[in-house]
Amino acid sequence: MHDNCLTIALSKGTLLSPTVGLLDAAGLPTDGVDSESRNMVFDYPGDPRIKYIICRPSDVPAYVEHGAADLGIVGKDVIVEQGKDVFEMVDLEYGYCRFVVAIPAGMDGISLKELNYKRVATKFPQVAEGFFRRHGLQVEVIKLHGNIELAPLMGLSDVIVDLVSSGRTLRENNLVELVTIMDSTTRLIGNRVSYRTKYEIIQPLLEKIQGMIKGA
Amino acid sequence: MRNREIPKGLRDLLPDEVKTRRSLEKKASQIFTSFGYEEVITPTFELLEVVEAGVGGNIREKLFLFMDREGGIVSLRPEMTVSIARLAATHMQDEVLPRRLYYSANVFRHVQPHLAQYREFWQMGIELLGAPGAWADAEVISLAVKALLDFGLENFKVSLNQIGIFNSLLDDSAIQPEDKQVIRNLVEKKDLVELSRMLEKLPINDLLKETIARLPTLHGGLDVLKSLPYIEKSRNAVIAVEELMEVYAALKSLGVEEHILVDMGVLRGLDYYTGVVFEGFSPELGYGLLGGGRYDKLLSQFGFSCPATGFALGMDRLALVLKNQEEEPPRYIVGGNNLQVMVQKADELRKEGKIVELDVEGLSRVDLHEKLAACTNYIIIYLDAE
Repeated sequence: MHDNCLTIALSKGTLLSPTVGLLDAAGLPTDGVDSESRNMVFDYPGDPRIKYIICRPSDVPAYVEHGAADLGIVGKDVIVEQGKDVFEMVDLEYGYCRFVVAIPAGMDGISLKELNYKRVATKFPQVAEGFFRRHGLQVEVIKLHGNIELAPLMGLSDVIVDLVSSGRTLRENNLVELVTIMDSTTRLIGNRVSYRTKYEIIQPLLEKIQGMIKGA
Repeated sequence: MRNREIPKGLRDLLPDEVKTRRSLEKKASQIFTSFGYEEVITPTFELLEVVEAGVGGNIREKLFLFMDREGGIVSLRPEMTVSIARLAATHMQDEVLPRRLYYSANVFRHVQPHLAQYREFWQMGIELLGAPGAWADAEVISLAVKALLDFGLENFKVSLNQIGIFNSLLDDSAIQPEDKQVIRNLVEKKDLVELSRMLEKLPINDLLKETIARLPTLHGGLDVLKSLPYIEKSRNAVIAVEELMEVYAALKSLGVEEHILVDMGVLRGLDYYTGVVFEGFSPELGYGLLGGGRYDKLLSQFGFSCPATGFALGMDRLALVLKNQEEEPPRYIVGGNNLQVMVQKADELRKEGKIVELDVEGLSRVDLHEKLAACTNYIIIYLDAE
């Protein structure tokens, strides 16, 4: 009952190049897909026909949830923040980063409990609020859209919740990591209906990618 | 102009949308009625105690709650099955069973609204009360298939599962109760990554781990069940598998098996299901179109021990997939300068079953034609009375 076409939403930015590598290794066409291209849709006729949508990472879950894309490749960080109803299928293990609570170096030695009623700047209000609530803490979350590390420097917030990979940006801005909230890596996600209607295409691809990850 | 806004997640339905909707409802009512189902209407809101006794406590954040003047907490109904169970327990305990009921109702959930998910949405569904066994399940499932076919949907499948398979695998293992709940939540959320990570940590048989990890993605015909090696070790799981096979066989007898799949990932969100559960979907929409299953313990929550099974159609989603199916009949407009003559003509046409408007503006022939020049669906009749 499927039309023989698979649409995959890919995150542009740093994840794109390892993602293209993965798709290539899984035997899918990837000619011409690169971050320099201004194209947002790539279409490869064949059996099955493969289509890629290149979009902002934070838009990938929406495409997949609505079925505009059957599959998507996006970081766990985006998935937990958005809480969309998608099938989380494989941990692709690249694009590692982690959510942390970071504090100005001057506050070093403070414990998590002492952050009650502090102001927290973050791009990820759901993750931040969820974390503090689980620890029985009330905080005021200030949603920003980038350069979170600026907020404590300018007195906008007391602490921040942000994604870090190496931790260099934190150090450069005189911030220290207080606690890790969770680790994040890239995930293959799927639409819950596509998974059933396009089972014959998706299942072999899924097994292949799982095999590649396990073998790696 | 705040006074023109409506609350988030709600919407107006305009004439074209209502026509689509009513035509679907009519088809569904006809087929349900022809199988002996009778319509019932329940109150739009219920006491919170009723809703929670039915669907469990963890739905509370999705309910629209308010106080009545007597100090009770009431909830707009989040679905219909619980209300029907309450109704049956109140009014039908002494009747000859099985009873077949259907409903068409708006239900309310405080969800994040998006395409095909509103805070007020419409369901039509049936409940077959008082009949255990595979034949009853098969009747209900086949009616779901028949309704979709009658709507003119061809490209769709209904996925079956028996939640007893999953539950008894968990129950018969040495997994701690709190871990079981975590596993259930992960399977329901379809987070396979976290699920396999969680299973790895548990001190249980590897074969069982593999079986649980694969369940949510097992999908296809009956042979899916054969690829579950661990099942044979759990007596209850074997019983559940047998029940699923019986229902499948009955569906074959009812002639609808080409639309049926077995899908171990169908677990349904509500807590009250006890047996065969199912969901319907079409590749044209990324969301399910219908859902249902067997709920043998729900009525006893209301003091009536009675097996039951049923389903609900998501009318808003179906309307999205089945837009503008029926051809519009032409509309007549009767104009003229003598109202009595016009009315007489209009009534004549109406008696023939035509849709007839009266030109209540009293326009001249020229003006009337000019005004309706762009409306292709109008037939203009102008009566010049001397």
